[in-house]
Amino acid sequence: MRRVDGVHDMGGMHGFGPVVETGGELPYREPWEPRVFAIQMLISAEGLGAGPGGRATREEMDPAHYLAASYYERWLYSAEQRLLRRGTIAPGDVEAMVVRLEAGETMPPHADAAMAERILDELRTAHPMGPAPAQGAFSPGQRVRVRRMHPQGHTRCPRYVRGAVGVVEAVRGVDRLPDRATYGEKIQPEPVYSVSFSSEELWGAGQEPAFTVLLDLWASYMEPA
Amino acid sequence: MSAGHGHHHHERPASAVELRARALEALLAERGLVSTDAIDAVVELYENDIGPQNGAAVVGRAWVDDAYRERLLADGNSAIAELGFGGAEADNLVAVANTPTVHNLIVCTLCSCYPWPLLGLPPTWYKSPPYRARAVSEPRAVLREFGVELGAEVEIRVWDSSAEVRYLVVPMRPEGTEGMSETELAALVTRDCMVGTALPRL
Repeated sequence: MRRVDGVHDMGGMHGFGPVVETGGELPYREPWEPRVFAIQMLISAEGLGAGPGGRATREEMDPAHYLAASYYERWLYSAEQRLLRRGTIAPGDVEAMVVRLEAGETMPPHADAAMAERILDELRTAHPMGPAPAQGAFSPGQRVRVRRMHPQGHTRCPRYVRGAVGVVEAVRGVDRLPDRATYGEKIQPEPVYSVSFSSEELWGAGQEPAFTVLLDLWASYMEPA
Repeated sequence: MSAGHGHHHHERPASAVELRARALEALLAERGLVSTDAIDAVVELYENDIGPQNGAAVVGRAWVDDAYRERLLADGNSAIAELGFGGAEADNLVAVANTPTVHNLIVCTLCSCYPWPLLGLPPTWYKSPPYRARAVSEPRAVLREFGVELGAEVEIRVWDSSAEVRYLVVPMRPEGTEGMSETELAALVTRDCMVGTALPRL
């Protein structure tokens, strides 16, 4: 199910409390968490999943569950969903294994040194965007307005910049629009621009001195201002 | 979630989520689809080999070598590759430099984008709703929580990592470090300095 304007789109939301909390400086809190991270990486690298990518899948979570879940619980959710869609696992398989583990069964490790090598190679390899085109839709210094829109499903255009006017600062390169690419559509790459916005434009006059927010936005998200 | 609490010989009972995570790993291993040594290799990569020490080496070099600093600010990918760094989640690295009148802060409001090859996996606060909500709307209040107070003359530039670009903050070299070696300087550069939520101190 595709959702519109998910709860993951958090810029400017309120009520979440302090940033600095005890234990928050660690990348994870439980030993199972980095293992779920690794499993998600391997599902992608080994082609065991299907459907939208892990990130778009996490955004499909029930909003109350998304907010209540820990970060790596969300990753566990997306790992399972992508495996189910591919048919790598069937509904009930995970629950059945939970029962076996709870009954005291121990599972032997499965070794595959070549798979370990493959994933390390992949994680050490960068996949840069294509080079910026000589002539694109917009140019550095140009004023642009972010389109008012509520895309169905995944997007990288946060709510808080829609409708706002900013200034193109740089062309980053070309990349496929994630709104369509994550659903498997075969589309051509388009330019991605670094765009700056004043805090007044985004939030109105605030309690803090003026500041600047910069985002990297695909050409499709914008129109000339 | 149907998994209840088990009767394992742990210090504390496994949560339903932990049980489910262990079950998924066991399931994939039993079927030979995901190897346990590949999982171990990924975990160890980010626990031992890749972390903020990489980013600190980049900043240390930039502090002692003006030509390197220029290359880093002009083409992040090539500059970090000179020191042997790069890979997933630094596919398009952009380094942004703090100055007496500019302070940079990195966030990902939609998710958790972060330059893994230079900083490792992000801390919990970086991925949590409060930081994702507030960094773009009240950065000075957020910085104050981290103990960072900036003068009104400093423009804060908040970089929301909304696409495949990943950012590294190059902090200002502290005063009083003139005689220090590149290695000593790198030791002053903490992870938070390179996200923008701390300043390097002697």
